[in-house]
Amino acid sequence: MRSPSNEALELAGGALDGKEIVSADRAVILVGNPNVGKSVLFGALTGKYVTVSNYPGTTVEVTHGSATIEGRPWRVMDTPGTNNLLPMSEDEQVTRDILLSESGYLCIQVCDAKNLRRGLLLTAQLAEAEVPFTLALNMADEATSRGFAIDLEKLAEALGVDVVSTVAVERKGLAALQAKLGGARPSRFTPRYDAAIEQAVATVVPMLPRAGIGPRALALMALVGDDSLRTWLAGRLPAGELERLDRIRRELAVRYPESLRYVVARQRLASVDRLHDAVVTRTGASATSGWTRRIGHASTHPVWGIPILVAVLGLAYLFVGVLGAGTAVDFLGHTVFDGYVVPWTDRLVRALTPSGPVQEFLVGPAGAATIDRNGLLVGRYGVVSMGLSYGLAIVLPIVATFFVSFSVLEDSGYLPRLAVMVNKLFRRMGLNGKAVLPMVLGLGCDTMATMTARIMETRKERVIVTLLLALGVPCSAQIAVILAMTAGLPLAASLWFSFTILLVLFLVGWLAAKVLPGRGSDFMLELPPLRIPQAGNIAVKTVARIEWYLREAMPLFVLGTLLLWGLDRLGWLRVLERAAKPVVTGLLGLPAEAAAAFILGFLRRDYAAAGLFQRYQPFMEAGTMTRTMEIEVTVALVTVTLFIPCIANFFMIVKERGWKTGAGMAAFILPFSIGVGAALNVLMHWFY
Amino acid sequence: MATTSGQEHCPLCGHAFDAAAQGCRPSCPLAKGCSVVCCPGCGYTFPQERAGLAGRLRRMLDRVERRRTGT
Repeated sequence: MRSPSNEALELAGGALDGKEIVSADRAVILVGNPNVGKSVLFGALTGKYVTVSNYPGTTVEVTHGSATIEGRPWRVMDTPGTNNLLPMSEDEQVTRDILLSESGYLCIQVCDAKNLRRGLLLTAQLAEAEVPFTLALNMADEATSRGFAIDLEKLAEALGVDVVSTVAVERKGLAALQAKLGGARPSRFTPRYDAAIEQAVATVVPMLPRAGIGPRALALMALVGDDSLRTWLAGRLPAGELERLDRIRRELAVRYPESLRYVVARQRLASVDRLHDAVVTRTGASATSGWTRRIGHASTHPVWGIPILVAVLGLAYLFVGVLGAGTAVDFLGHTVFDGYVVPWTDRLVRALTPSGPVQEFLVGPAGAATIDRNGLLVGRYGVVSMGLSYGLAIVLPIVATFFVSFSVLEDSGYLPRLAVMVNKLFRRMGLNGKAVLPMVLGLGCDTMATMTARIMETRKERVIVTLLLALGVPCSAQIAVILAMTAGLPLAASLWFSFTILLVLFLVGWLAAKVLPGRGSDFMLELPPLRIPQAGNIAVKTVARIEWYLREAMPLFVLGTLLLWGLDRLGWLRVLERAAKPVVTGLLGLPAEAAAAFILGFLRRDYAAAGLFQRYQPFMEAGTMTRTMEIEVTVALVTVTLFIPCIANFFMIVKERGWKTGAGMAAFILPFSIGVGAALNVLMHWFY
Repeated sequence: MATTSGQEHCPLCGHAFDAAAQGCRPSCPLAKGCSVVCCPGCGYTFPQERAGLAGRLRRMLDRVERRRTGT
């Protein structure tokens, strides 16, 4: 038996700093999905507790150690978590390459017992790869508490390998696992594909070189067009055979409307589903029995999930738009700030400081109206009269009510279901399934979501996802202000706004799907039980988010005020407004002062929207919005939503993708957003 | 206000992880030292609830709950 060589470690690209390599004849490799307790099991077997952070994009870490199992020394290797032996990320490629390049090892597949379906998808691929393994159903206690009963004997019989139930953190089942390890053997479970794929596999198998994994798995990988495997094959097959392989693959691919990767995965999943349903039953002990389970199931249903999604978003819209943007802003903005805070501070500052730049920076120019219903920003750029008023009196009540809604979504367990529904919608838009995760995360914070674009496989995909995030995915604070603004518009204008943003996302996504090599991937997310949200949890989550918002946004609001103050003092604000006038008034049909809102939009897009909100809110409240004003609000909202990303997101784009890409995106987004706004202005004047 | 060590549960994927060294602050270009943590499982970001005012509120609610249940 040959133990894993350093070749695998070189393939993995992982350094083994500080890890002692012990010589032993027998070797075991731990494989499994991410976050199933592999590293804990590794620690329990080797005596070392190893923490592995599989953070997307970080250096892939491969750890190994030694263990005495059944009185004999073993080398143990821990691999990065993987959902697929057809790699979609660097981590998954490392695990696949280790299995591909090694021979003579045994495997332990660590599986999350409460998410057996996901684990069995990997089991099926290990079976196809003819890897000798023992299956450890970890977190068995949590599976039981959630009402899952797994028939271990039936599963072992169907797979033809030993199956052991474990709770690695409590070292339960480890002795049984160690005892069964020596008997690890290839599984007899063989997913069957349709006749065309089976025929292609049969043709390709004799052409392939020997490898650490079986020829059937290798043939399937080659047929679906795995680029990383092609490099490996290119060094081992004559050019003629490689061309023949490509021809077989092309002939097979034309039979299906979807990618071969998707077709193979779907047919494999069907086999796994049959096995899963045969061995798993739900008991009465389920925490999600009764109506919550039924609603939970319906919430991800292709048909029933959509009205539930619309109802949830509608309730959030009413809560934020009516309570947040209406009642709370009216009280804080008009009663507290306009009535007391701003005038009092104005008098206090003017009494204590000499007239000049400092006084103007704090409370604006002397003589300027404290409340200017008709103007936009001009004369109101004092830290108190503008920065704090916008931040605390306008945006804070809106985002606070939105944070309450978001906390309810989180605590109820609906958020992951929302991600699943969005995944379904995005797939229909032709977007790569894996792109959904950064998009969903972007609804929280685009800056951090830009970082998670690292999970995309190619640079091209990462750039497209970053572009879509910067272009059309509003962050939580921005969504809040958008909800508040659209709540004051007639339904038709709100639909114009929503339709335009979705159309832009669809078109850019569709174009991206056309430009990108057509490879999708499974979007896997464990769905927690749906439950009634707890008031205490919602309060804590909301307070945590408001603290975060105040820390992150308020300094930028003050910075924005400083920027406007500086521009005005130097006379550049009017120059900018004059320069932007043909675009702002001519193309977009907005007041000339709106140029200042777009300058602020670069600092924070919700800051820009707050300026627009302040201008139009009195008319919305009084019900005196004219048709022209409704068009102005819709056009301004669309332009601000699509406008260049905020400063934090821009820096993150530069950090992740480089200066050239960052500047290129800004250069594309700026005219594009204005172009869309201008087109919308014309269309709304014709058809609205 | 930086993140503090302790067990966190991701609201998106349910993954339990130690918040130590999982803060977004080394990567965020602006908000260094904020209390937002990133789930190592799915990348979801959320403000840590054991820090700041939210942490105090959480501890107070926990105390009330313990008194109520007598534990």
